[in-house]
Amino acid sequence: MQTLRSVFTVAHKDLRSELRSKEAINASFSFALVILLIFSFAFDPTAEDTRRIAGGLLWVVFAFAGALILNRSFAREVPNDCLDALIATPIPAYALFLGKAIASFLLLLAVELVCLPIFGIFYNVRWAVQFLPLLLTLALGTWAMTMIGTAFSALTVNIRLRELMLPVLLYPVLMPALIGAIELTTNLLNGEMLSGNNITFLKLLIGFDIIYTALSVALIETVLVG
Amino acid sequence: MREKAIYFMGTLGVLILMRNLYVILLQLGDEMQQGAIYRIFFFHLPAATTACIMFAIALVASAGFLITRKFAFDTAAAAATEVGFVFATMNMVTGSIWARNIWGIWWTWDARLTSMFILWLLYLGYLIMRPAIEEPTQRATLSAVLSIFAFCDVPIVYYSIQWWRTQHPAPVLTTPGAMDPALWPPLLLNMLAMLLIGLTLMMVRLRQERVLREIDSLRRYAHAI
Amino acid sequence: MIELRNFQYMFYGFSAAWLIIVLYVFYLVRRERRIQSELSRLKSMMEDRDKKAI
Repeated sequence: MQTLRSVFTVAHKDLRSELRSKEAINASFSFALVILLIFSFAFDPTAEDTRRIAGGLLWVVFAFAGALILNRSFAREVPNDCLDALIATPIPAYALFLGKAIASFLLLLAVELVCLPIFGIFYNVRWAVQFLPLLLTLALGTWAMTMIGTAFSALTVNIRLRELMLPVLLYPVLMPALIGAIELTTNLLNGEMLSGNNITFLKLLIGFDIIYTALSVALIETVLVG
Repeated sequence: MREKAIYFMGTLGVLILMRNLYVILLQLGDEMQQGAIYRIFFFHLPAATTACIMFAIALVASAGFLITRKFAFDTAAAAATEVGFVFATMNMVTGSIWARNIWGIWWTWDARLTSMFILWLLYLGYLIMRPAIEEPTQRATLSAVLSIFAFCDVPIVYYSIQWWRTQHPAPVLTTPGAMDPALWPPLLLNMLAMLLIGLTLMMVRLRQERVLREIDSLRRYAHAI
Repeated sequence: MIELRNFQYMFYGFSAAWLIIVLYVFYLVRRERRIQSELSRLKSMMEDRDKKAI
């Protein structure tokens, strides 16, 4: 109970400071828009193309936008030695980690939910056909991204070139989750039901989430405290 | 003594490889479907097994460091990862050359190739991150954690890509026919030789890392006075 | 014709395999040299300092 409250407190603190400055969320959102624009030039997709690449396109946008938010997650605490103070507070390291992860998760999900209709408008995709399964996919994929991303954000916070290191480390590890999320999103945007192959991909996503949540929670104390 | 043992191991590995070259090139006939090119397999597969063994050593050493906090484990993990990376590269390059001849393309996003590439990228990240951390304890801890993350990813990557690829027809067919029993001895010997060479390189790398640590402490000492 | 190309590519494959090992060994040797020179430099520096202290 106590732990749950500290998780909530950390998440609340992060969200509030982000919503005051809106640094990461603005950067991430405008970056996502720019990528959507570049893609329309890079592929000049017809309606048929768009149907095929929709999932991949969306998740590339989300993965890039996510790296911006996740970079800030721990880097935000570096000035004024806030990180040391946070580690010194009497809450377990995994509570700190989960709080930060939940804050990034909500921010990233918000960016994704704003991008989705814009994507629909720009590329003429009807995205609301299977909205609830799509939301589930977004949530699971984003959870995978924030879990590993926050863990790696903590990992890279004290090293040189952290902004460059995070994507280099994050994307390869994230590949299985991205594969699942991309396939699932493409199929759902094409109006398929959540059955058959899609269930397999859903299971892949859920399994990945469970494994990496457990692994991150188990190892975060080592990363933060040493 | 130790030095000699290391170099003996390396020389033995190279000698076995040389002798096998003779067996492979002159004693074995061409394969029916593939012709001469199948012989690349004698380098391709042993490189892969050596790389996997090296990465497994790195995983065990990383876990060992996190449990015991002894720097010897960290050094072993770093050395094993670097050597494993070299052999993984060799595996991919030889495979690619084979594919160019048999499939007509250098690369395809087939399950195995893709997972090997992701594995390669993961450990490339490890090797890039390590020198970016200055403080030795922190470097050891963070690299150990990263190594565990990376290794856990390998089986998931492999299965996920297989599921993913079942969605699409494979662009090319891999045809692993039953292997001629005459091919087994040179293949196994090559695996052994490659592993010996890998271990030798790892030992040399280990020694370097040890000297580097000595330099580090000397520098610190010089600063202190 | 196909035979010839087969042999050619087999040769490329073998050379690539050996080349990668040789390149790595070169890299190791170069590192070794750098490390040793650094070590001896530091050691001589320390000795100089010791002499001065006496």
